[in-house]
Amino acid sequence: MADAIPAAANLFVETAEGPRLLGSRCATCQAPYFPRSAACHNPDCDHSDTQPAHFGPRGTLWSVTVQSYPPPPPVVASDPYRPYAVGLVDLEADGIRVIGRLLVEDPDTVTPGGPVELVLAPLGQDAEGREVVSWQFKPC
Amino acid sequence: MSDVAVLGLGMHPWGKFPDKDLNSICRVAVEAALADADIRWNEVGAVAAASSRFSGGKGWGLNGNDIVEDMGSTGIPVYNLSAGCAAGANAFNVGHMMVASGAHDIVLVVGGEKMPKGFIQTSGLDDETDPEYLRQRCVGLPGPGFWALLTRQRMEEYGTSHEDLAAVAVKAHTVGTHNENARFRQLFSLEDVLNSNMVSDPLRLYEICPVSDGAAAVVLCSAEYARKKTTKPIWAASSAVATARFDDGLPRGLGCVPSPGRTHHSEARISVAKALDAAGVGPKDLDFVELQDNTVYYELAFPEEWGMCEPGESESLLHAGETLPSGRMPINPSGGFLCFGEATTAQGLFQICEVGWQLRGEAGERQVPGARIGMAQSIGLGGNGTAAVLKR
Repeated sequence: MADAIPAAANLFVETAEGPRLLGSRCATCQAPYFPRSAACHNPDCDHSDTQPAHFGPRGTLWSVTVQSYPPPPPVVASDPYRPYAVGLVDLEADGIRVIGRLLVEDPDTVTPGGPVELVLAPLGQDAEGREVVSWQFKPC
Repeated sequence: MSDVAVLGLGMHPWGKFPDKDLNSICRVAVEAALADADIRWNEVGAVAAASSRFSGGKGWGLNGNDIVEDMGSTGIPVYNLSAGCAAGANAFNVGHMMVASGAHDIVLVVGGEKMPKGFIQTSGLDDETDPEYLRQRCVGLPGPGFWALLTRQRMEEYGTSHEDLAAVAVKAHTVGTHNENARFRQLFSLEDVLNSNMVSDPLRLYEICPVSDGAAAVVLCSAEYARKKTTKPIWAASSAVATARFDDGLPRGLGCVPSPGRTHHSEARISVAKALDAAGVGPKDLDFVELQDNTVYYELAFPEEWGMCEPGESESLLHAGETLPSGRMPINPSGGFLCFGEATTAQGLFQICEVGWQLRGEAGERQVPGARIGMAQSIGLGGNGTAAVLKR
């Protein structure tokens, strides 16, 4: 099996309970952040006090698009190119809306409104043949 | 604060000009604006310029300095303004303040850009501290995909159809065909648009704007000076700039807090509200608007978000012909970004030129009959928003 690398550092983790996004939350105003934020950006918050937080895994698909053409780097995709779906997902329990690629067989069949869960899966391979892994959402 | 007149308007047509350098494109626009204002270059008291990301400016966004050197260095102050795709309109705002404050009698505002070929990356950065980079690298969503997500959500909420989206592009070209400065002047049928390649579902190639080269320039002056030059001045009744609010629910990076109401560009809503308020008019008093239609979605969503019509009403107004120059709510009589393509930092000033020409009654076959009040609106990376209301 090919080597695997994360698409970027410090964005997701595999825990005993399954994959989670590495975010943060302000202990003062509860505002959630992904990626992690060193400071709270809520202008109405009296005191910035962000703490590490795990987000996911369950959410609802708010909107979806299918990327029909191969975008230029740094996008990682399958070779030969196969269109993929990207969604905006509301993680209701965490109070945050996040973007992610969707792990589905046929991207054209995905519609907004359905439940999805967080998974870690390859986006494609980089120039050295390594699998580039990122967080994705899978209809459930 | 004194009144500000829009005395001169000039434009280099939008297109692709591989054999021309940026200076020569800008010079055409500047000379046209000076001639239109009937002033000489050495009367200009200050320059406010859009900083280009892609061309000229000595690699530092010093595009106003390029203009001054090319036209002839007179020692005047130069302000180079960067605001992503809102840079031209941001420069207009600074020019407006300089005249309104009395600091300068005559100010030249200019924006010009030569764009690289193909799809542009929105961000100029290439590292993991940049949310735009992370969105490309970890998800794979270029700019049109962002618009597509908003469009698809509108389809869910209001039942907007593929035909509705295509009809916006058809309408844009119906008016843009009459604009000699537009790059794409061909007429499209609904079928042409619906048969164009899918880019980011549900948005097709003819429903998003490509990139172009172009330049536009505007001469602003005090009311006192304007009255020496013309009996029918066009007034910059207001110019407003805003940035996005924390809680507008628009996913600009990887994550955001969903807003309780509709998700929207707060930077656009705030700048438009400020500009309307400062001009003493309501959203329904506008005779027409030039808005930033990077994609057909915005021509449907923005008028509703600003109170020009009711939420979900845009499609029926479009099909009834009300957004044509002859309608009740004309939008983008120039043909908009769909017919021009985006010369990013020059866009805010091509809009001012169109609004000015419309108010003078010089827009020919795309003229909004009897136009008295018009608005120009733009947004740019970083959550920058601008709006200006012009009156005659």
